[in-house]
Amino acid sequence: MSETTHEGGCLCGAIRYCVRAPHPGVAVCHCSMCRRQSGAASVPWISVPVKNIEFTVGYTSIFKSSEKGERGFCKVCGTFLTFAHADWPDDLDVTVGSLDRPEDFAPTHHIWTSTRLHWVPDDGLPAYPETKSKE
Amino acid sequence: MTGEIHKGGCACGAVRYRIDGPPLGAAHCHCAMCRKAAGTPFVTWAPVKTKNFSITKGNLIEFKSSQSGVRGFCGTCGTALTFWAARKPDYIDVTLASFDDPEALTPTHHIWTGSRISWAHMNRHLPDFPEWTPAEFWSALKDRT
Repeated sequence: MSETTHEGGCLCGAIRYCVRAPHPGVAVCHCSMCRRQSGAASVPWISVPVKNIEFTVGYTSIFKSSEKGERGFCKVCGTFLTFAHADWPDDLDVTVGSLDRPEDFAPTHHIWTSTRLHWVPDDGLPAYPETKSKE
Repeated sequence: MTGEIHKGGCACGAVRYRIDGPPLGAAHCHCAMCRKAAGTPFVTWAPVKTKNFSITKGNLIEFKSSQSGVRGFCGTCGTALTFWAARKPDYIDVTLASFDDPEALTPTHHIWTGSRISWAHMNRHLPDFPEWTPAEFWSALKDRT
């Protein structure tokens, strides 16, 4: 069976990746760390089994943003690319904006809305004050 | 001259900045380069006078993203912090979400909307501009406040 692949990468091209069969759902994260690092109001993420992501060009630089969290970015252009959490070692989260076709990944829900900015309105999608359980 | 000051910085704390004086306002940019660099559908920028912007800790790493544009980020954590373009050297754009108080300004419009992702509906009641913010829009905004 052929599987759709989704390609993406950073702004300068130093990092390229290829993703297959991401978990269903696109979570828009409103946490203060995601906001800071992206410089944007919130960050939409897909979650991908680690075995289904391949870095085809380059590799990410890692910033350890919390005891269990590691954020990957391009050291050449700064593009924010990945998030890994020690509690879910089999998955890697990938920023939707770094995918070549972000149109294909419309958000399905919001997380960490307890820290949502006042100028970011509720759009009616399911919202969770913290993380959504992966169960 | 008002005494308005804004402070901000990156996620890891290696880079800190200070803005003396009021930003022009804040705009959501939908261009493809902002989208890639941030990993988000759009990026919200606050333009400030270049002379009013100072780095108070660390250094920006610069990436020349186009013939005219330079993007500044933290080399330690990757945080997107600034955009400066040779075509408008008197202003530097600062990511509103890197302000210590990102609610200090409320965005007023969208720019580069020809590149908007279809599902990026946020703040759709605000005016759209196909490219940069027209100077007269900033002027009108200033007159209202």
